[in-house]
Amino acid sequence: MLKVIACFKWVMDEADIKVDTGSRRLILDRVGYKISLYDRNAIEEAARLQEQHGAGVVAMTVAPPTAKQCLKDALSRGPDKACFVNDPSLVDLEPAQTTAILAAAIEALGDFDLIICGEGSSDLYTQQVGPALAEKLEIPCATYVNKLTYMEGEKRIIAERKLDDCMEVVSMPLPALVTVLPDINTPRIPTLKQVLAASRKPIDNITLDALGVACEGCMQTTGILAATMERRRLRFGAGEEDIRAIIGALLKEGVIA
Amino acid sequence: MHFQLTEEQQLVKANVREFCQKYVEPIANEVDQQPRYPAETVKRLAEQDWLGIPYPQEYGGAGADYLTYILTIEELSRACAATGFIVEVHTSLASFPLYKFGTEEQKKKYLVPLCKGEMLGSFALTEPGAGTDVAAGLTTAVLDGNEYVLNGTKMFISNSPVAGVFIVFASTDKSKGPKGLSAFIVPDGTPGLKVGGHQNKMGIRGALTAEVVLKDCRIPKENLLSQEGQGFKIAMMTLDGGRIGIAAQALGIAQAALDESIRYSKERVQFGKPIAALQPIQWMIADMATDVEASRFLTYYAAWCYDQGRSYAKEAAMAKLKASETAAHHTNRAVQIHGGIGYIKDQKVERLFRDAKITEIYEGTSEVMRMVIAGSMLR
Repeated sequence: MLKVIACFKWVMDEADIKVDTGSRRLILDRVGYKISLYDRNAIEEAARLQEQHGAGVVAMTVAPPTAKQCLKDALSRGPDKACFVNDPSLVDLEPAQTTAILAAAIEALGDFDLIICGEGSSDLYTQQVGPALAEKLEIPCATYVNKLTYMEGEKRIIAERKLDDCMEVVSMPLPALVTVLPDINTPRIPTLKQVLAASRKPIDNITLDALGVACEGCMQTTGILAATMERRRLRFGAGEEDIRAIIGALLKEGVIA
Repeated sequence: MHFQLTEEQQLVKANVREFCQKYVEPIANEVDQQPRYPAETVKRLAEQDWLGIPYPQEYGGAGADYLTYILTIEELSRACAATGFIVEVHTSLASFPLYKFGTEEQKKKYLVPLCKGEMLGSFALTEPGAGTDVAAGLTTAVLDGNEYVLNGTKMFISNSPVAGVFIVFASTDKSKGPKGLSAFIVPDGTPGLKVGGHQNKMGIRGALTAEVVLKDCRIPKENLLSQEGQGFKIAMMTLDGGRIGIAAQALGIAQAALDESIRYSKERVQFGKPIAALQPIQWMIADMATDVEASRFLTYYAAWCYDQGRSYAKEAAMAKLKASETAAHHTNRAVQIHGGIGYIKDQKVERLFRDAKITEIYEGTSEVMRMVIAGSMLR
């Protein structure tokens, strides 16, 4: 049986972030959390392999214990089991730390064939955890994947990578890791029965002690302000002679050169 | 005491919300204006297991609690009150009496396909001369051998043009008044059952409503629900639960009015600043938010009472009264905040304003709600 691990991150729902108009500070006190958007695609792709090839799917995340709610959300999307690596210290991790913990948890889990990660998280979007995790586990990796085919009986996958100016198709032996783009699939909206069934699925609570790793949040956000858009309040007519004025204004503002 | 939804309830609420953004909101205006029944949405609702939420899985339902159902109606109605209402009638009015009073065979035959969403249900109680005064109905059912013969005209029957089965109320003994009322299961296609033309409503226009005429409509004896004379009790119990559903629908409409008012008042600039900076607008938003929250607590509390197996008739009446009057009042305020543009079709608040009114009328008017509440308080 194909064994798939889908990694996901529990992030702030950006729709709930309010901005203090005067100071531009972010108001986070009523913010909700959700599964990072591209990680939903990762879980969906794992669920597709589960439905089409009978893959066993584990959803894995590294988070503080307060993120517990993410488990039912993830499990309602298809995975058979969740691995919840949790510790109060697991906040504000920088990508190398997340990678190290994920690698330790995956090694502790044992056997796997394919790891699927989202291309980047909705909050930091460093795009590092996937490739770094592959490096750490010494397995091949394909990023920017927007189509994935599992070659049954051949122990390999074919991944289509969407690059800036071309599509690259790679064939990789398993075990391997892919990071996926949003167009790879449309994540399902879990049915009610899937939501209710999620609470009956097994969850592995994994402590840092059990993994033998320690972690101290080393990333500090010293300041974060909302971007503002200042309008120049310039008005132009639709006439031919106005085009020159528009171009002049754009040149002056440095929008075009 | 705690005010937190369970993890499952929160997930369902978020899922319904996502579903609405994707499938319901984009067609809500068209469904209202044409008007047309959103068949494609109803099919998807069935796929999501949202057409039999509070009924056990053995009967094709999802086996969730009533509050989960209420949250679903709230979120659906926030996007499209007609869609919320289609589900409410189907679940609260058509499926409930089958679940509560049906025999095992009746449940297998009718409740299972209803809960699975293989067909929609309808509830035929109201008549031209019998609205609030249910017992004034003229529809009769006469036992003839192994069949009941139904005759009469039902009015304002929601979901009827698309229903696969009707719960029909008819008198089996006129001399007994309300105690002579009985409930029957009438499948669509039964000879003598005729659904009239679409009634052109002010609001919730995507939810189809029509007259239902029964002319020598013969149904097998086993289609009697419970026993003869139990109809009034069945209708009242069904409507008690339905009122929590309508409270949720009204709550969704009121929440949408609040959402739209906040969004618009931040965008609309007058006197050099967004109108949200003006005190008259702020006060309207504050009152609106407070009433919406009060309606929400009453509605969730009524659903919680239902889930706990407590009495809920008074709580359901309070929730419906508060939420429907909140919806009617504050959709009016929302149009006011929008000013002229709020009076134009295509603006969501214009639709909300029309959709809200019916929640003060159907499944028991505000006046009936006050009677129920006063009756309970002064007993």
